[in-house]
Amino acid sequence: MKLRIWIYYFKNAILNILSNRWVHFISIGTISISLLLFGAFILFFVNVNNWMVEWGQSLSMSVYLKDGIEQDEREEIASIIKGLPGAEITAYISKKQAEADLIAALGEQAGLLEGITSNPLPASYEIAFKNVKNDQADPQDIKVLLEQLEGVDEVQYSEQWLERFEDLLYILKLGGLIVAGLFSVAVLFIITNTIKLTIYSRREEIEIFKLVGATDWFVKMPFLIEGAIQGILSGFIALIVLFLVYSLFSLKTVHIFGLPVMDVVFLPYNYVVLLFLFSLLLGLTGSFIAVGRFFRVLS
Amino acid sequence: MIQIFHVAKRFGSNIALDDINLKFQKGEFVFITGPSGAGKTTLLRLVFGAERPTEGQILINGINLNRINKSRLDPLRRKIGFIFQDFKLLLRKTVSQNVAIALEVNGERPSVIRKKTRQVLRAVGLANKEHAYPLQLSGGEQQRIAIARAIINDPLILLADEPTGNLDPEITREILLLFRTINLKGTTVVIATHSKELLKDTDQRVILLNKGRIIS
Repeated sequence: MKLRIWIYYFKNAILNILSNRWVHFISIGTISISLLLFGAFILFFVNVNNWMVEWGQSLSMSVYLKDGIEQDEREEIASIIKGLPGAEITAYISKKQAEADLIAALGEQAGLLEGITSNPLPASYEIAFKNVKNDQADPQDIKVLLEQLEGVDEVQYSEQWLERFEDLLYILKLGGLIVAGLFSVAVLFIITNTIKLTIYSRREEIEIFKLVGATDWFVKMPFLIEGAIQGILSGFIALIVLFLVYSLFSLKTVHIFGLPVMDVVFLPYNYVVLLFLFSLLLGLTGSFIAVGRFFRVLS
Repeated sequence: MIQIFHVAKRFGSNIALDDINLKFQKGEFVFITGPSGAGKTTLLRLVFGAERPTEGQILINGINLNRINKSRLDPLRRKIGFIFQDFKLLLRKTVSQNVAIALEVNGERPSVIRKKTRQVLRAVGLANKEHAYPLQLSGGEQQRIAIARAIINDPLILLADEPTGNLDPEITREILLLFRTINLKGTTVVIATHSKELLKDTDQRVILLNKGRIIS
């Protein structure tokens, strides 16, 4: 198609927006807020997901040893642990050390332990699994394996937390999809009605265009571009505001349920592009619906 | 140029046209007259493709309007100029912008649009009014804008529905002269009117309609 036709379409789309600037201002504002909420949800989801992946890959485990374990038994357990994929013993905590840690943790309330004559706390190995994927080492299998060893009393790891978070993440995903769907319908509704208003304000012009032999596409295209511009502008504003809010609060570290802290990152590049394309698609679809309805009425 | 075979048009139980048979040659100048409600406007709208006949066939330059699809109707309309009784002007656009619309839909270059718009406005006597808005002009001048828009594409056919309906006799004569000039260039002109002023002393073909039928 000729370049000057496209120039004509864009010129008319921009003129449409300018001549109905308040309607478009309100519309773009509302769509931006919807997309901002949607973007904020994705940001939250991406970060929680990142954290889950990171945490899953740096699994920690505590191997509690039986009281009175011999030195050679302990060393054998240590060598077995070291043989596990990605496993690293980060600390050996003796019974004495465990007691000292507990006293330090209790602080002023350490007096509670005064009545206890023997130390009930077990010695333990603290293990960290670095960069290990779930398919390489299942924490449950490792737990069972280690608990079978002579001298091992119990093995604990963050399995329960992971499972809880996985459930939470699933609910979030599901909720997110529902929220995204509702937002999309709302945004479509707003765009469709805004374009309908601008079409209505130019109905005489459209009628005359048709009477002098304009093709349907010639009349429709500026309105489709108008919707696309609305979508793009709203997406752009939403992303800018999201980034500003992110930078302003810049909560670089977050505690969730008192568990290990995580870095808060902004939306990855591909998510930014996707959100942008999504807003463009919403704009185009909204104006397409409006234009289609209008032309059905016209014909 | 225009062939109409056994055309009837009904709106519900109301018969607007009944068994119309007509042929208009290329370059012909024809008046369609008759009282209000005779079917003049409906006949023009059928020829323009704005309505479809309930019965019968209409051929424009050999193209059957009953069988034409939308994508072919739009280019055909660019070859048919239509002047409406109510002018159908855009009041927020200037005279030249109103006229230029007919070229813009053709995707013409802006330089061509400017040149042809000036030429046609000169031809209809509105050269010095190109930046004016329709409401700043008289009824006769507004009619000239509509004529300029209808002829700017050098149409094969010019259809005019009561083009002098609200104009005084002197302006009516001027408008008629303008139609004659356009006709001399080879455009087939069909004017629907009940104006006695337009038909007075005419030596052109006159078709009389009444209650949707051709009387003479």
